[in-house]
Amino acid sequence: MSSNSQKRRQITGGDLRKNAPSPSHYGRKRGSDGQLRSQGDPQPSLGAKGEHRHTDNRSERQASFTTPETVRPLSRCKDWGSEVEESEMRMSVNRDMQRYRRRILTAEFSSRERKVSSGSCDSRDSASPTELETDENVLLRRQKQINYGKNTLAYDRYIKEVPKHLRQSGVHPRTPNKFRKYSRRSWDQQIKMWKVKLHTWDPPAQDGDLQAIEQIDLGEVMDIELDPDGETCKTSAGDEMDCFSVTPRKMKKTEELPQV
Amino acid sequence: MDSVCVEYKLQTLDAGAQNLLKAALKDPRAVDLEKVATAIVDLSLKDSSFCKEAGRICYALIQEEAKDANSTVFRRNLLTRLQQEFTVRKETRKRSVSQWVCLVNFICTIFDYLKVNNQPMAALVQPVYDCLFRLVQPDALTNEEEVDCLAMQLHRIGEQLERAEAGRMDELFYALRDGFLLQERLSSMARLLLLEVLEFRAGGWKLSDTAQQYYYSEVAN
Repeated sequence: MSSNSQKRRQITGGDLRKNAPSPSHYGRKRGSDGQLRSQGDPQPSLGAKGEHRHTDNRSERQASFTTPETVRPLSRCKDWGSEVEESEMRMSVNRDMQRYRRRILTAEFSSRERKVSSGSCDSRDSASPTELETDENVLLRRQKQINYGKNTLAYDRYIKEVPKHLRQSGVHPRTPNKFRKYSRRSWDQQIKMWKVKLHTWDPPAQDGDLQAIEQIDLGEVMDIELDPDGETCKTSAGDEMDCFSVTPRKMKKTEELPQV
Repeated sequence: MDSVCVEYKLQTLDAGAQNLLKAALKDPRAVDLEKVATAIVDLSLKDSSFCKEAGRICYALIQEEAKDANSTVFRRNLLTRLQQEFTVRKETRKRSVSQWVCLVNFICTIFDYLKVNNQPMAALVQPVYDCLFRLVQPDALTNEEEVDCLAMQLHRIGEQLERAEAGRMDELFYALRDGFLLQERLSSMARLLLLEVLEFRAGGWKLSDTAQQYYYSEVAN
């Protein structure tokens, strides 16, 4: 819509309401939080601390204006990049859940039909729907932990080397199932073990080459049990030196440190 | 890659910017995406006619990055840079109303173009509203440039905004009506723009045929 193509109209004084209230009433009748404002109320400053203010207003306004589905505790004021990424992850976790539900329902159905379970139905999947983890925050946290593990060169090499149908339980690491009910400790331990096992596929260390693992905290390194072949241990101990000084190359591509 | 130049109308930019954007569109991983994001935001703030192309370029870059590397570095950088500008919008408006108008235009363009799973980005809803609320303030209404911007954004994304949060749209329109009726020193063009927007929304974000005729056709008078 361009101004030029509009027809200009003359508005005469007489066209306006004769009984318009006096100018002192001018100004928004209501503040942006929806409450009727008394006269003389100063305009709320929109510029000051913009990102904080609009978040505060939102929580004030929640009672009257926010549709019920979006009422969600605002944990802390985030930057837009993180907010968008998190909401994207939420949507994908919800999609995963639908897909998973369908999968176990069909697996249940088909295992009732015949004695032999189908390939994808094993003890990990056979959680009945009532035993699923459904808390979004938990699922999000777990998904983030899984993403950290999958975002490594080791994982890339692993999935290229060992296709799913050739995987043997116990030998080949399996991604923990985020939809099953586990205690926090149990889950965190599963993730640790999984990531440790993945190190077997770390690219061979070269001089100056970075091991692509995210920061290992000392606690995690201490927890590693000594393998008979000592392979896993050696790699981890070596990595401990590297990971504190530089951002791993592979992690950098998705987790740029936000510039403020 | 002259087809890229033509497709995104890059010829109007200086050579440095052209090369950077061309390289980025060809392979996002080969460039410093933070620089690209900064360049795009800076260019959009100077030239409002570049906004639309900027939106398309951002869209293309995000698709490209997601496809090749399954990463979101550019989007994150873009949003961070945009948020920085949004935070200082009061100062920007004091310095230059035109730049402020460009900022609003660009934020709304991003809101319009960059969807997440086919939904507008929830993080931008309140900031966009904040901008539009600023535009219905008395001092902004006396500026045709700002009224024009307000009207344009409401035409483009009003419906989506309302769907995201209806209450605040109601609020905005209370203020808009107040402005239309009570604001002194409003140019007749500004009044026309506001009236048209009022009718537009009242018609469910569409203009009735008769209103269309009133506002947009040449009537021999």
